[in-house]
Amino acid sequence: MSPNPFARLQAILVRGLAALCAAIFACLVVTVLWGVFTRQILDDQPAWTEELARFLLVWLAMLGGVLAYADDRHLGVDVLTTRFDPASRGIARITSHTAVLAFAIAVLLIGGGELFLTRHASGQMMSAMGIRKSWFYAVLPLSGALVTFLAIGKLAAKPGTPTAKEESA
Amino acid sequence: MSPGLAVLLVSFVVLMLLEVPVAFVIGLATLLAALALGRDGSLVSLASDMANGLDSFPLLAIPFFVLAGELMAAGGLARRLIDFAASMIGRLTGGLALVNTLTCMLFGAVSGSATAAISSIGGSLIPEMERKGYPRDFSVALTATAATTGLLIPPSNVMIVYALVATNVSVGALFLAGIFPGILTGIAIMIASLIISRRFRTASSAAPAAVTEIPRFWPSFFRAFPSLLMLVLVMLVILKGWMTPTESSALAVLWSLLLVAVFYREIRWSAMPAILVNSARTTGIVLLLVGTSAAMSRLLTIEQVPQLAADALLSVSDNPLIILLLINLALLLVGVFMDMTPAVLVFTPIFLPVSAAIGIDPVHFGIIMVANLCIGLCTPPVGTCLFLGCGVGKAKIAGVSRAMIPFYIAMIAALLVITYWPDLSLWLPRAFGEMPAAP
Repeated sequence: MSPNPFARLQAILVRGLAALCAAIFACLVVTVLWGVFTRQILDDQPAWTEELARFLLVWLAMLGGVLAYADDRHLGVDVLTTRFDPASRGIARITSHTAVLAFAIAVLLIGGGELFLTRHASGQMMSAMGIRKSWFYAVLPLSGALVTFLAIGKLAAKPGTPTAKEESA
Repeated sequence: MSPGLAVLLVSFVVLMLLEVPVAFVIGLATLLAALALGRDGSLVSLASDMANGLDSFPLLAIPFFVLAGELMAAGGLARRLIDFAASMIGRLTGGLALVNTLTCMLFGAVSGSATAAISSIGGSLIPEMERKGYPRDFSVALTATAATTGLLIPPSNVMIVYALVATNVSVGALFLAGIFPGILTGIAIMIASLIISRRFRTASSAAPAAVTEIPRFWPSFFRAFPSLLMLVLVMLVILKGWMTPTESSALAVLWSLLLVAVFYREIRWSAMPAILVNSARTTGIVLLLVGTSAAMSRLLTIEQVPQLAADALLSVSDNPLIILLLINLALLLVGVFMDMTPAVLVFTPIFLPVSAAIGIDPVHFGIIMVANLCIGLCTPPVGTCLFLGCGVGKAKIAGVSRAMIPFYIAMIAALLVITYWPDLSLWLPRAFGEMPAAP
């Protein structure tokens, strides 16, 4: 366990996120199977099954994407950076995480947050489930906040510390 | 070139070279281009493009096939498939190399993942091949290339991604169309392995040709059958029109769960959360790419990039054979630097209109693209399969890359056949009525 309280907080957050992803995934499987069952056997598929499935898919995609970022598992191209000397490599690493941070803040947190707020104010509903459509978009600012938090942690980490990817390898 | 497009291209390349994750490269390049174009509300529209790009029922098949593959791989799928393949072709000369290829094809198909095939099959067969006198570099190169054929054989997530971007392409038709090209590539790899291994088969005294203990056919068949039945089941329910591909993927999850948890009892229920988390992470990797690419392709369309690319290519030649060759060369180059999913997401919208203009069926074009990008998975510097193979087989990239050369030739030969013989891909979907008959 890392002695740094910020790093410990991050570790707890990532574990919670993983549990949430597993739960969403399990709900997704059950929802779609229930939809298939009610359509094939009972010939009466409730409309909420598809709506909920798509809702959960978008949540799973975004939060799974955050989880992959936490574990440094996103696809990247290291053609150039592996040829760098350690100092330039450190700079490239900082640039890379700053770029992710910029995207998370600008598009997910600000853009997604504004999207959530305007949709929430408009009061648009998801027809079958009877909840506001804005909750569908809420995952954007949420994952934006999570990535921001994680990226700051990765930027703050000492250059010598192994990345999550190197640790698992 | 418009300033927006120039910003897109430059930021794309620069960010990519700085090892920014590709999903974020695509998102940021799109953002910068939108800002350069001075589009109002770029931030909100980018965010909503992402969410809406992911809000699609067909996309649900991706997490489900990932989960089904993880479940199968967590159980004893690898051993069962190895025994099954050995019982069929283990007796032939060069048997172990053939067994490796066939097992990788089957495992790649069932698990939907070339990387899972390499770690599971390579992990047990590469050391075994070494004991029988096959050089390690050869075995690693063989495993890495053979594993990619599973991406052509259904069910295949990259085909679902292609169907999503190409629009109006049926996943069922793509699944069927991939079968023969996948088998053809596998056979090409087998032939190459037989030709090369002749050298060390005669050089070594230990008769390294065949597997020494051949499992009996029927017992190994019955052990492997329930896992292979998943492929048949998925195809059957789609073709009969009983289920959509998404529903069939949920069925695949249920089937693999029954197999590994109830029938074979290979995994405990307590292992389930870890499997779900792994699958969620893999899903996130693929779908975040899908989300940011959705935003980018909208920008590309607004900037009329597909038309520009089509005009440029068609101005070179109006001969379909040459255009196809050029597209294939461009894709090979793309594949060297990019992983398969982002390549399909970024380049399908650009090349598909060109191929349509020269009369290539979009289903056939999807198969060409996947077969082509499979080669890129095995080439340095961005060759996921090559790197993983070297890791699993504890071999050096330089040596394996040299051992790859005959397999590159085999894959490129197969690619040429796939490209210039449309019926190889299209015959099966037509025969099953998944797409209209030939004009």
